[in-house]
Amino acid sequence: MVEVRFENVTKLYGKKLAINNISFDVKEGEFFSILGPTGAGKTTILKMIAGIEPVTSGKILFNNVIVNNMPPYERNVSMAFETYNLYSHFTVYENIAFPLRAPKWKLNLSKEEEKKRVVEIATFLGIEKLLDRRPQALSGGQKQRVSLARALVRKPQVYLLDEPIAHLDAKLKFSTQTLLREFATNYKSTIIYVTHDYREALALSDRMMVLRKGVIEQIDTPENIYYTPKTDFTGRLVGEPPMNMIDGELIKEANKALFKVGNYFTIPLRKELAEVAEKVAKLKNDKLNVRLGIRCEDIKLGLHKISESSFQLPIYAIVHEAESFIVSFELENTILQIRTKEDSELERLRISDLVWLDFVPEKIFFYENTMEISKS
Amino acid sequence: MSKIDCKNIWKIYNGNVIGVKDLTFTCNDKEFLAILGPSGGGKSSTLRMLAGLEEISKGEIQFDGKVVNQLGPAERNVALAFESYALYYRMNVYENIAFPLRAKGMKNKDVDKSVKDIAEALNLTSILKKKPAELAGGHQQRVSLARALVRRPNLTLLDEPLSHMDQRIRGEIRAQIRRIHELFGNTTIYVTHDQAEAISLCDRLLILNNAELQQIGTVNEIYNKPKNKFVAYFVGQPGMNFIDGTIESIDHVFLETSDGRISFKFNGEINPKYIGSNITIGVRPQQIKTVQNKEANSIISGVVKIVEFQGDNDVITLQLSDINKTQIKVVIPAGGYRYKRNDICWLEFDPNYIHLFDEEGNSIIER
Repeated sequence: MVEVRFENVTKLYGKKLAINNISFDVKEGEFFSILGPTGAGKTTILKMIAGIEPVTSGKILFNNVIVNNMPPYERNVSMAFETYNLYSHFTVYENIAFPLRAPKWKLNLSKEEEKKRVVEIATFLGIEKLLDRRPQALSGGQKQRVSLARALVRKPQVYLLDEPIAHLDAKLKFSTQTLLREFATNYKSTIIYVTHDYREALALSDRMMVLRKGVIEQIDTPENIYYTPKTDFTGRLVGEPPMNMIDGELIKEANKALFKVGNYFTIPLRKELAEVAEKVAKLKNDKLNVRLGIRCEDIKLGLHKISESSFQLPIYAIVHEAESFIVSFELENTILQIRTKEDSELERLRISDLVWLDFVPEKIFFYENTMEISKS
Repeated sequence: MSKIDCKNIWKIYNGNVIGVKDLTFTCNDKEFLAILGPSGGGKSSTLRMLAGLEEISKGEIQFDGKVVNQLGPAERNVALAFESYALYYRMNVYENIAFPLRAKGMKNKDVDKSVKDIAEALNLTSILKKKPAELAGGHQQRVSLARALVRRPNLTLLDEPLSHMDQRIRGEIRAQIRRIHELFGNTTIYVTHDQAEAISLCDRLLILNNAELQQIGTVNEIYNKPKNKFVAYFVGQPGMNFIDGTIESIDHVFLETSDGRISFKFNGEINPKYIGSNITIGVRPQQIKTVQNKEANSIISGVVKIVEFQGDNDVITLQLSDINKTQIKVVIPAGGYRYKRNDICWLEFDPNYIHLFDEEGNSIIER
């Protein structure tokens, strides 16, 4: 197992900047995820670690040794691709055994030992019955698990997994995710995992990176990413519904501060919160514009006034979840979403009914506006 | 708007492949019904037969009591919105919405009023002059819906319209679809493989698997009274846990452990003939109470094998102390103790939320 470090790495494809001067390190034995939307540069990072893509500038180090010029086969990494890349003229067994047979790793396994390893990983991933088939006879989800088994069958210096469960259906994805977590816990391997699905990143990672257009937005534990996102972008990327982002105006009066959202509502801000808001507010047309972030679980709903800072809005829509429901409200720039547990009083509510809302003060964040938010 | 009745409908392809098997259900006037199931379950065949795009092999479909088997999509007055929006890219939004009205030969003045009314309701007024290519996915989705709804169809059919949408806007679109439904009251049938999607939008859920109806009911009925193990596992994330056990008496089941039997109570009616039978006990991961130390109500213990953080909760995978060392999942809400690997955890099952299934996987408990 190795520690992987990026020092000021930049990657250009022609003139297009894919990765912009990023530095981070992945510790030995760590499960490290890279989360970002399509086009953020996630796969590019993996390919540079594997040695398939050269670095334009900066250094990549394995255990403090620069590997920029080391060819892929010397880096001893194991990779699973989103596109499977299975050998169609081989059976599933042979596909999975392939890395064990590669002369460069000098494993020289006996037939029995090889079979034991292949069957073990195939059983672990629930594909042991497919070993005699060829890839053409498999569904997309089965192919993806074969690709994953092939990546996991060997013990390399670092595993590089690129959306390895993206094409599984919901139930299988969830159970395979649990298996990956088990694998990582049992083998203490260094794993770098690319995904666009925040649930996988939260569930699997020791630490994770949020990547946006080739730039690191935040690196932290899943808990800190979820509970204290540093930017509006991270807040929107993690959680479903994503963190609510409400654009409004910071109003400072003699001994109090207010947050005003058009004609929709105005709430008082405590001193500490007002100071945070002021730091990120932008002056425009004599107004201090600021963006408030709050998660859907951190807004209380009621038929009666809840506190001095609660306010009323008409219901836009109500949708159900298995054990809760989501009540939404229309604002100028967004549809505010609130998750509430089943409650007979609220159950009778309908569209356009006026209800009271109350933001939990400790759960309010203020952000610099770094992304367009509009009702879709 | 219509009441839709499917009476013993079958879809048989090439004489022997059964796509839909003897399906009977009703979608009431103004109801939002979701058809949910895995791919290959028969959802699309059902939708296509409802739309008039596919011949019905056997059985009858009725709209307001009138058989429509022989009618084409236009005569049935069915509106379809697909996952791919299928907008006309050369026309602007206004013309896209107007298209079905013009096709019917409606006068310009009436077309204008209908288009403007629906655009107003769906917040599309400001983008009527734009071309589809200039619009974000969510807007395109709504234009597609507006086009489906503008001619006041008897039935609106939606086929996985949100499945490829970004998680960041999915919630908003769900809210919009539900709002439109409440405002317009169209009879709507929505086909999806995504159980969360179906739960969020529908009045009732119909579950199909292997070409057969598994269950139809409100979300509450499906979630709390699943008729079989398939439904119990398919609906809910994570799905229901299953543990092998035996019926001890009319209101008790037991599990075998290396230290002997553990017996516990359930609420509900079962046929006494099951006493002594091996059955499967089902418990939802969201409906298990956990404590670190054994309490009076604790039933069985487990060892924490895996902890998965989900944001507003943790999902833990436990290995139980029964003889099968059954693995189950439990959802632990945020804010309490956070379990770690190898912790011991004691479980309590609410007798009202214990499910029992026979060897065929059918529910044997009535509540």
